[in-house]
Amino acid sequence: MSEPTPNRTAETKTKLKRRRSDLPFFLVMSGISSCFILLIVLLLAADLMFTSFEDFRAAVMKPEIQSAFRLTILSCTIAALLSIWVATPLGYLLSRYRFPGRLLIDTIVDIPIVLPPLVLGLSLLILFHLPIGGWELEAWLRDDIGFPVTYRWPAVILAQFSVSCAFAVRTMRVTFDQINPRAEDVARTLGCTRGQAFLQIALPQSWRGMIAATTIAWARALGEFGPILVFAGATRMRTEVLSTTVFLELSIGQLNAAVAVSLLMVVMAVVVLVVLRVLGTGLTS
Amino acid sequence: MNKMLVVMLGSIVALGAMIWMLQSGSQRGNSTNTAGGDPTEPLMFFCAASNRAVMEKIVADYTEEYGREIELQYGGSQTLLSQLEVTGTGDLYLPADDSYLKIAKDKNLVSEMLPIAKMEVVVAVRKGNPKSIQTLDDLLREDVKLVQANPDATAVGKVTRRMLTESGQWDALDKGTTAYRTTVTEAANDLLVGAADAAIVYDAVLHTYPDLEFITLPEFAAGTSLVALGVTQQTRQPSAALHFARYVTARDRGLANYAEHGFQVEKGDVWSETPELNLFAGSMLRPAIEDTVKQFEKREGVRVNTVYNGCGILVAQMKAGQVPDAYFACDTEFMEQVPDLFPEPTDVSQNELVIIVKKGNPRQIAGLRDLTKEGLRVGIGHEKQCAMGWVTQNTFREGGVQQEVMENVTVQTPTGDMLVNQMRAGSLDAAVVYLSNTAGSGEFLDAVRIQGLDCSVATQPYAITPDSPNALTASRLFQQICSTDSQDSFTAEGFRWKLDTEPSADNE
Amino acid sequence: MIEFQNVCIRAGDFQLNDVSFEVGSGEYAVLMGRTGRGKTTILESLCGLRRVQSGKIMIRGMDVTHWSPADREIGYVPQDLALFPTFSVAEHLQFALRLRRFHTTQIEHRVSELAEMLGITHLLKRQIEGLSGGESQRVALGRALSFRPTVLLLDEPLSALDAETREEIQTLLRTLTDNTGVTTLHITHNAAEATALADRRFHIVDGQVIEKSESQTQEAEELDSPTG
Repeated sequence: MSEPTPNRTAETKTKLKRRRSDLPFFLVMSGISSCFILLIVLLLAADLMFTSFEDFRAAVMKPEIQSAFRLTILSCTIAALLSIWVATPLGYLLSRYRFPGRLLIDTIVDIPIVLPPLVLGLSLLILFHLPIGGWELEAWLRDDIGFPVTYRWPAVILAQFSVSCAFAVRTMRVTFDQINPRAEDVARTLGCTRGQAFLQIALPQSWRGMIAATTIAWARALGEFGPILVFAGATRMRTEVLSTTVFLELSIGQLNAAVAVSLLMVVMAVVVLVVLRVLGTGLTS
Repeated sequence: MNKMLVVMLGSIVALGAMIWMLQSGSQRGNSTNTAGGDPTEPLMFFCAASNRAVMEKIVADYTEEYGREIELQYGGSQTLLSQLEVTGTGDLYLPADDSYLKIAKDKNLVSEMLPIAKMEVVVAVRKGNPKSIQTLDDLLREDVKLVQANPDATAVGKVTRRMLTESGQWDALDKGTTAYRTTVTEAANDLLVGAADAAIVYDAVLHTYPDLEFITLPEFAAGTSLVALGVTQQTRQPSAALHFARYVTARDRGLANYAEHGFQVEKGDVWSETPELNLFAGSMLRPAIEDTVKQFEKREGVRVNTVYNGCGILVAQMKAGQVPDAYFACDTEFMEQVPDLFPEPTDVSQNELVIIVKKGNPRQIAGLRDLTKEGLRVGIGHEKQCAMGWVTQNTFREGGVQQEVMENVTVQTPTGDMLVNQMRAGSLDAAVVYLSNTAGSGEFLDAVRIQGLDCSVATQPYAITPDSPNALTASRLFQQICSTDSQDSFTAEGFRWKLDTEPSADNE
Repeated sequence: MIEFQNVCIRAGDFQLNDVSFEVGSGEYAVLMGRTGRGKTTILESLCGLRRVQSGKIMIRGMDVTHWSPADREIGYVPQDLALFPTFSVAEHLQFALRLRRFHTTQIEHRVSELAEMLGITHLLKRQIEGLSGGESQRVALGRALSFRPTVLLLDEPLSALDAETREEIQTLLRTLTDNTGVTTLHITHNAAEATALADRRFHIVDGQVIEKSESQTQEAEELDSPTG
């Protein structure tokens, strides 16, 4: 039964023709992606052109900037570590267990992410100074314990922690969601308590997630500005971090110094991100 | 599992190490003691970020000169105010302009306000005025991008809107404004980066912008604000805070820095570590103001040398060259005798004349006329020496009994207290004194009011020498005298308080 | 040895009511039924990983209904094997013994013994990533048997394997259970496996567990699964 149609003949002659190319796919995908990449690169280039190397060096040399740099590194790292310490158990609980009020806790954890930063700062301030029948948290800490918080470095860390922990919890929760709970179940049948199953089975599998959560927490802490300004103040040599430095320089019109410090922060951020990424891949290899 | 433990332990160790680093770092920062080795509690100063450049120098100078540490908190004026309110701490507050201080005063957060400099509303342009902006209409040109600070959130915006609404030009300007920025420095920054060609700002803001210049417009002539430093109500170290505040507002200290930075500074006091204020006051005012003055001395850490005497004597001293910083007279007559010294007195209180008699009024004196009774021994104040005497003479004259009463007058003293004493001693049957002089003598004296004669009421004015090196301090003393506690003092002593409103800071 | 007495379990949408059956010591029981009928649920409740609403579960005559999984001494091989991704093969075999604080030499001895039984001695040092289906199955079995449990539970152990490996594992299962004498409950939907391995056959029908004979199993299979 052969009724040769023109199509058929053409077909039989040229069966193996390359008709489709993947080029359009790559063009479109990379086109869209590169718009964003380009934007970031242009922003950085604009900053670089606005300032000069002298400005940068002058800014970096100032003792206040150096003190702010030191405080930034220390506080961000502490905030990130604390975040991971809190986020891992909390993320695990939220991921594995259905307990009454789970939805509520979930929502509460997300609140710092959604709140405008100044509101968070103001709320912290109010919390520490709210008089509860003659007793005030800040006064108690300062007078009875000798550990004042408001307008001191613990306030910086607390402000950073409040936000970065929220992000870290999200990440850790997703991490644990992706880890097969059956392995922990099996571990329990083999004789583990829930705690042992968590420590020995779930936790080792969550390395990548923990690195990611630490990265996010650190990055968020670095960028935090509003709550720190309101709750910890911006005292030179004491509670000034690089993000508030930029604000202070801006508010008296010293754009050069502000941009110089901004670039410093970019460099810092890049270094830390690269280090964490290397750590992340290194650990899992 | 081991690797995990190592990491966990490692992170705890790292955490501990970093916290220790921070703690030791801040201890070092905290232990800057005074030269004498005893650590004083630092003053907490909420300073608007826009004043940072000039204030840092002043604070550094102050700490060097006096060793006291000042903790500077920077932020936006409104945010700082909220922090003051919420934390209940803080000794000093310097907002971008005094409208915030007024709000703070209404909320009972600030008690003293010390003026620093005046600010004018101007139009900022880039150096060289490339767009040749000269008039208000130029601002409305198509090719001119005008930015303003938000009239609801910033003082300069508020002032501009109010000024131009009154002159009917606001709507046009509003339409011609490209954008409203949340702070005045943002508006200036826009100019710097080229996003705008003109910005309506305070001239003070521009002193850190060497690449910008400004032009003044006649339409903005009415728009002035004050940069002023507030001392908080809740401060635990009022004398220390006021010591620093006086330093900042002293014409040979802080104000010099402000002038260098291009501010139009106010007059200011001459700096002195413990200023000595000289106050001349009519002696009848003593019971009313004594405590107030003491409290003032204590809070401010200053010394007030009060000379109480009959006003006639005081005026003579002043005419001879002993000029005080402030003068609180018993009656306007004796203020008007030294008009070149005190061009702008303010009437504060009133005191009426009364006739005092022995308790029970044995001679039955019911009014002025009765003073003419035969054989009455009457004591009055000396006409030349004190206001009381002068007012008494006026009263007699108006009452038509001058000559007859004067025949009964046995003694004329410079102060009312002396007459009261003589009444108590029994050497007088009646005396004409101030109502305030009778306070505390109710046990053995009765007072008979003099009806219907306006001139029997003395009005007490207060005035400050404009050239005084302590003019500001004297005006703060005046504000203290006008406080409600002080007013109660006056009324309790028998004065009537006259001054209606709370006087503003420009009562010099 | 394993006994379910009037056990009621609620799992998601459906309910198992009055499940009662028993498996004698050392017996190899096969539990069959359509997918989603509750076979895994029964295994999980036996393990202690799922709570029962009412009824009693007895192992070796002891009421373990409220015991934690760790105390029940049950070896469990789930359907997806659930191997520990960060552990080596040797560590899998050592895990249960380490938990019970055995001496290092004892652990080493047991591990080599197990590895030989399962034919995975050459794999001991390897990470589990990249193991074939059959190899993974052996590791899972080894892990479950390492501590000499009373009961062994297998959830569809052979369904993911190719025909040849299936044969191998099947033989292995028979050998292992005969040698160790462990009471086994094996879930499958494949009648052939039942034929090869089962001493007892159970079916889940309408939320109940019913024992069937060999011929009944064949019938049920033909009715149940069109492909057989």
